[in-house]
Amino acid sequence: MPQYPTAGHDPAPQARSKRDYNAISPFWNVIFNIIIGVFAFSCIFPFLFVIMISLTDEQTLAMEGFSLWPSQFSTAAYSYIFQTGGELLSSFSLTLLITVLGTLINLTLVTTYAYALSRRSFEFRGFFSFVAFFTMLFSGGMVPGYIVMTQFLHLQNTIWSLILPLSLSAFSIIVMRTFFQTTVPDEIIESARIDGAGEFTTFVRIVLPVSLPGIATIGLFSSLGYWNDWFNALLYYNDPQKTPPLQYLLMQIEKNMDFLTQNAQNLGSFDAAAGIPTETVRMAMVVLATLPIIMAYPFFQRYFVQGLTVGSVKG
Amino acid sequence: MFKKKLSLLSLSLIMVLSVFLAACGSKDSGTGAAGTSSEGAAVQSDGTVDSSKLEPVKLKMFMIGPNQKDLPLVQEEINKYLTEKINATLELSMIDWGDYSQRMQVITSSGENYDIAFTSSWAFDYLPNAAKGAFKPLNELLEQYGQGIIDVLDPRFLEGTKVNGVNYGIPANKELAQQFVWRFNKKYLDKYNLDISNVTTLEDLEPLLKTIKENEPADVTPLAVAKGFKPYMPFDFVLGDEIPIGMYIDTKDFKFVNILESPELKSALDTMRKYYKAGYVREDIATLDGIDNMKTGKWLVDREITQPYAELGWSRSAGYDIVTRPMQDPIIYTGSAAGSMMAISSYSKNPERAMMFLNLLNTDEKLRNMIQYGIEDTHYTKLDAPYIEDLPAMKDNYSMPGFALGNMYLTYLHEGEPADKWEAFDEFNSSATTAPTFGFNFDTSPVKTEVAAISNVSKEFISALYTGSVDAAVYLPKAQQKFKDAGMDRVIAEAQKQFDEWKANNQ
Repeated sequence: MPQYPTAGHDPAPQARSKRDYNAISPFWNVIFNIIIGVFAFSCIFPFLFVIMISLTDEQTLAMEGFSLWPSQFSTAAYSYIFQTGGELLSSFSLTLLITVLGTLINLTLVTTYAYALSRRSFEFRGFFSFVAFFTMLFSGGMVPGYIVMTQFLHLQNTIWSLILPLSLSAFSIIVMRTFFQTTVPDEIIESARIDGAGEFTTFVRIVLPVSLPGIATIGLFSSLGYWNDWFNALLYYNDPQKTPPLQYLLMQIEKNMDFLTQNAQNLGSFDAAAGIPTETVRMAMVVLATLPIIMAYPFFQRYFVQGLTVGSVKG
Repeated sequence: MFKKKLSLLSLSLIMVLSVFLAACGSKDSGTGAAGTSSEGAAVQSDGTVDSSKLEPVKLKMFMIGPNQKDLPLVQEEINKYLTEKINATLELSMIDWGDYSQRMQVITSSGENYDIAFTSSWAFDYLPNAAKGAFKPLNELLEQYGQGIIDVLDPRFLEGTKVNGVNYGIPANKELAQQFVWRFNKKYLDKYNLDISNVTTLEDLEPLLKTIKENEPADVTPLAVAKGFKPYMPFDFVLGDEIPIGMYIDTKDFKFVNILESPELKSALDTMRKYYKAGYVREDIATLDGIDNMKTGKWLVDREITQPYAELGWSRSAGYDIVTRPMQDPIIYTGSAAGSMMAISSYSKNPERAMMFLNLLNTDEKLRNMIQYGIEDTHYTKLDAPYIEDLPAMKDNYSMPGFALGNMYLTYLHEGEPADKWEAFDEFNSSATTAPTFGFNFDTSPVKTEVAAISNVSKEFISALYTGSVDAAVYLPKAQQKFKDAGMDRVIAEAQKQFDEWKANNQ
């Protein structure tokens, strides 16, 4: 066991010869660090590349192609976006709203559902577990979903059509249920009950604070899901008068370009390229769309570091 | 990776939807009996409509293209005019290029109510959707409410877009024929005093390409084409030019052949291989999606589909002079007639009024220009007729795809365009000959698996072969074998069978 400093008194100074059996030798430590470093770099590199392209001068790009250090820098792409990109900015705020609201709703639904399933004293546990689990294996598919959303709920082109489809995921429920079962011992709940807490108080005041790491994980998944979702927008939120969510806007630009290059010969004399942002502007859009969610990550970081080591029962 | 995913997704989407559609079955065929009489009574003897005899209706229309900021504004103007003309209002929804086909499929299969939609051989595909019953048969409606359309359209438009003898769409009046040209960057022609008056075939280009290669720096591409490049083949392709099945344009026996086995292809491939080795094309051509030669100006020649006065437009948008030489005579294919159409939904509650509206789009100059160019003095100013000048608001808030909005011949011209532009179009269309399979539509459902397999083989071989990236002597036999294994012969036989039947019925 490694010695951890505990509050109040310092550990006795250890003799150097005492070896920590969990440590790896410095040689392998360096090797592993290099491997992980290379992996981390290969994850970050494409993004750095995108940033560089977005800062390249358009004409230089056409002449020289992509390069990591362009001969001609320019911030024209960004100034173009901030001048004419009213649409981009309003897309941005819409996506932000959906992400925040959606994540809150998602967390509320998932934690309450999962908590109920995690309690052994809950009589219909089996049935409700099955209901959640069944949807993981068999789903109605897209067309029934579309019909329910548009013809039955009439939620087309409201922001609920972007929030509801992602607001409850069976996978998260199962993860969360397991998490509750493993980290929240029955003894705590029992003691809370003896102290006179009702079900709801127990859940909000005892269970939730103890399960923050799990909630943070689910919250991150869910907010990433909302932030990156474009498919629901494609199906339900496509009134041209409305601002599309950010990722859908990028998707549209990308898809349009594909489509127009493939079908150039069918468009006759119509100059479709005129309506499409240039390469550097597109890259700048990608940068602006990715940064916020990268920024959000550090807020969740501490919970991941705490990981699942949270215990609250004195053993 | 991502594209693969997307295509898989859309494939599965289409599969699900087609099952769903089949379950629905097509709704009514022919015109709805309700309302016909009162609508019919409003049409006067001279073909105009007496709107006072009509109930007000709202027409819902889907159009391809990016949404425009000023659309509500223009729509208001259009509606004022339409109410006066046919007592209808229009609700126009734009769906962006890349989304259009997919969205329209979903809308169609869920039975959402709309009246008019853009359809064509390349977006929201006309043929399968007409066959599935997504559109109303239009022949009777055309007779009764669309006389104007019949008058203005080249009859071959309607002839070529029939499915089993029925029209399901109204083609837009534009260039009807297809003609490939070589485009030349005039700067280099002048610099080296190159003569293009005798250039038609791929082989004719050689001395020109050689001159550029030897005298210009390496970043000037002599033959600036991307992986989609195909040497001109004198064939009428039955499944698009990616799939090497076709009929000789000057065919006598009306037989589909395997183009890979034709001598024309062999010699074209040898030429391309020679050019590739000589460095006349980009080295990475086989994987090049597009090439922005127009932007850089560092190229001598490329390949494009033309229309009358196209080089003026190209020169204007490139900012330098471009000249062209035809590779072939203009030819009318089934696909080119269906390049841009409007169809009426089989779920439409007001097909008569929708047809009246389409009739106006093809005959009424004011409406036609309003829907394309917006509002006078907001989006454009009038110069001497028929010329207009765009105002900045047009580019920013209202640029509509004009080729998809009905009769092009009614539209205003821009400065620099010849006054006889539309006459030239007319001439171009009437000078064109029809392809041997014009009007024939190949229903691939009996050989669906083979067609899918062939498409995969063609993705593997066609661009590598046609661009000269690989040696034809080695890879052509390989490709032939693979296509055979994928069921090429069965597809050819099926196409032949259907064609013979069609030919017998249409003599």
